[in-house]
Amino acid sequence: MPGSAHVRLENVVKRFGRVVAVAGVSLDISRRSLTTILGPSGCGKTTILRLIAGFLAPDEGDIQIDGASQRGLPPYLRKTSTVFQEYALFPHMSVSDNVAYGLRLRRLPRASVAEKVRHTLSLLKLDGLERRFPRELSGGQQQRVALARSLIVEPEVLLMDEPLSNLDAKLRVSVRTEIREIQQRVGITTLYVTHDQEEALAISDTIAVMREGRVMQVGSPRDIYERPADPFVAAFVGQVNLLRARVEEGGVRIGSLRLPVPPDSPHVEVGHEAILALRPEAIRIGAGSEGRDGLTGQVVSRTYLGTTVRYRIELAGQRLTVDDHDPAGKPLLEGPVVVSFDPTRIRLWPASPEMLQQMEEGP
Amino acid sequence: MGKATTARAWTDALLVRRLTVDPLGLGAIILVVGLLAVFVLFPVVRVLAQPGPAEWTRLLTDPRWLRLAGNTILIAALSTASAVMLGFLFAYATSRPDVPLRHLFKLIAILPLVSPPFVGGLAFILLFGRRGLITYSLLGLSGDIYGWHGLWMVQTLAFFPIAYLTLAGVLRRINPTLEYAAQDLGAHGFRLFRTVTLPLATPGVASAALLVGIYTLSDFGNPMLVGGAFKVLATETYTQVTGWGDLGMASALSAALLLPSLVLFALQRYWLEGRSYVTVTGKGSFADPLPTPGLLRWALFAGCGLVALVLLATYAVVFVGAFAKTWGVNWRPTLENFEYTVFRGRQLWNSIRFAGIAALGGSAFAVLAAFLIHRKRFPGRAMADFAAVLPAALPGTLIGVGYILAFNTPPLTLTGTGTIIVAAMLFRTIPVGYRAAVAGLSQIAPSIEEGAADLGARPLRTLWDVTLPLIRSAFTSALVFTFIRSMNTLSAVIFLVSPGNVVASASILALAEHGDWGQASAMAASLMSAVFLVLLLFRLLTGGRMRLFEL
Repeated sequence: MPGSAHVRLENVVKRFGRVVAVAGVSLDISRRSLTTILGPSGCGKTTILRLIAGFLAPDEGDIQIDGASQRGLPPYLRKTSTVFQEYALFPHMSVSDNVAYGLRLRRLPRASVAEKVRHTLSLLKLDGLERRFPRELSGGQQQRVALARSLIVEPEVLLMDEPLSNLDAKLRVSVRTEIREIQQRVGITTLYVTHDQEEALAISDTIAVMREGRVMQVGSPRDIYERPADPFVAAFVGQVNLLRARVEEGGVRIGSLRLPVPPDSPHVEVGHEAILALRPEAIRIGAGSEGRDGLTGQVVSRTYLGTTVRYRIELAGQRLTVDDHDPAGKPLLEGPVVVSFDPTRIRLWPASPEMLQQMEEGP
Repeated sequence: MGKATTARAWTDALLVRRLTVDPLGLGAIILVVGLLAVFVLFPVVRVLAQPGPAEWTRLLTDPRWLRLAGNTILIAALSTASAVMLGFLFAYATSRPDVPLRHLFKLIAILPLVSPPFVGGLAFILLFGRRGLITYSLLGLSGDIYGWHGLWMVQTLAFFPIAYLTLAGVLRRINPTLEYAAQDLGAHGFRLFRTVTLPLATPGVASAALLVGIYTLSDFGNPMLVGGAFKVLATETYTQVTGWGDLGMASALSAALLLPSLVLFALQRYWLEGRSYVTVTGKGSFADPLPTPGLLRWALFAGCGLVALVLLATYAVVFVGAFAKTWGVNWRPTLENFEYTVFRGRQLWNSIRFAGIAALGGSAFAVLAAFLIHRKRFPGRAMADFAAVLPAALPGTLIGVGYILAFNTPPLTLTGTGTIIVAAMLFRTIPVGYRAAVAGLSQIAPSIEEGAADLGARPLRTLWDVTLPLIRSAFTSALVFTFIRSMNTLSAVIFLVSPGNVVASASILALAEHGDWGQASAMAASLMSAVFLVLLLFRLLTGGRMRLFEL
């Protein structure tokens, strides 16, 4: 049944004392998919992982794997396997003993353990490292051993807890590609926890964005980036400009500029304030001070980044970040500029006091 | 080779010349090296040089000595094994987050460390001896229970806290995520313990066993009190000196004890180094240890509770004995037992005085030695470092015999004085303060000191302003430790006491040997109370900042 829910969370609540870590989360994780829980630290994402693994028990709600409730099932009886943030490789065991550990617990015949270990190590390109100990491995190798140790027990669900956070930036990109390839080759349902939005966009089939114990949006990477459900998601995933605008009949107004309301926007009362979300790449700027379909702004600062020039622009009392993706051969802008927006890439929500306050504080 | 020697001589000469620029530093180095040579190395050399060929031959061929050696090893091996098991039980139970009363168990487990080891022996006699509360008063038995069985039990209780402290440190630093990972892969219960927890703690267990082994090999007080006809090398050394005046044979016996001690010491210090699986990493995402399964939790509680009760009973027995008119016969409460020992005698005051001087002098000396040996360069540094850690491996009886031999004749005639007792206390405990100070120093980059010097501070000023504040905790912990150890020590000072200079521990042994159980108990109770009072006072003075025994 590809596509059906393999893991299902129903209204799961977890409290630590008076702190509500998970505040009623429902989530379906499809079979063979890679689902990412994305959120800032302290949002409850790791708690969800620990609940599914069985290290914690939910205070309310239920967790099902293949339709079977996991209530009361200890971690060692669940068909899940975790790749820990700091890998948690057994320091007193060699690479092959670490990988074989789960199979030996299942009392498999010696020969078949050896065969499976060999196969798994080669799948993860760890051949030749069998006799090494964890402390003799690089960070990337340790990461792959941890993955091998989890995969070899053929779990129904693979749980990965910020698995790249202990690697340096360059390695992170190559290892995440590897993880994605292996996940697809093995075809294993995977729940991946991270706070890195770029990582989430790069490897996920589905992303669930969490904040303060709640799931704010579930969708494909494109959904999340292009059609964020609220300003928080818009600001957390990628760069975004949040602008205040006034709603008029059939459009919104920023200063002297009137923009059409995008068709799938939530309803906002005429005369009320709205919040507009604009990605930097949905904004164009040009030299000069007059423009038919634009606003006049002032360049405050600019950062030259080679492939891009990032401008900070002041416009009708608000600040904008705008990227010029093709700066080659053009003079860098300064002083007054004309700013125009791509109306199809605007997102709009009614402005609540909470949102406005958040805009002040920034994401 | 000639060339190398010349080069070596040149660098030495250069170093010495650089030191002459800093006369104070040079003076301090000469003082430290000189004292270590005279009070650590010289007595050992005297012991090894004392026996003639006849004594060595007797030691190696006479079945009597061989049996003694066998006894020593037997009781050390048995006590070490059981002490390490008990230590592991306490360390494991107190490392679990959910074992009831675990903080109380931590406290009780360190009691034997701050009281004299032979209190256990004394309590054992009071409970099971010829007039024992249990054997005689309750069961009406009259028999001889002295021997290796009782000694085994007493030594186990006396020395398991050393294993506990070592293992508690090791278990606490094992990353709890590893147990999560094992559970996640399908392990649980005893299998998880056997395949993950225990192997991770194994280097710690080995280390604890070697440490406890050094103590149980050379302990003197308990074999003396409850060993009865079961003699060991340490007690026989004492008999040879006091009974026969045979310093040659006593030296040979101490030397025989030195060899296994040194082996254990070297193994613990050099072989186990770098074999630990304990990693000092940042806090992981799964920082809390797993909850303990219910049955195991209560089993741990029951085990620790039983041991704690037995321990508390031993102390209770000694305190009750101190106030009973005649143990086992007349239970009327009285202060008579304190009359001649504590109120009129000088022994307790001597203990406090000598231990206090040894603690102050020893801590200062240890810190100074650590600073000079690890911050200055001078010929003979390695030897000085060796001399500063060596006493940890020296049996107390060897120090006692060595001091008699070394300081009985001019130029340094110290026998019969209080000074020799202070010196024995001081240099026996040097390694503790020295190692703590070295550990503290290794956290201070020399550049900090150079920075101070660069700003115009003279060497002494640098030491005072920069280095000392940074190793103050090493100093205070050495101060407390040396005081406690010196108050409670018996094996070395028993050879060195003289009329007027008797200390409490030696007096307890003498009283117990005469069967004056009440007076022995009174003295022991007073000694323990004095130690506790000083600890309490010190804690108040340092505003509770002093940390000792991980508390």
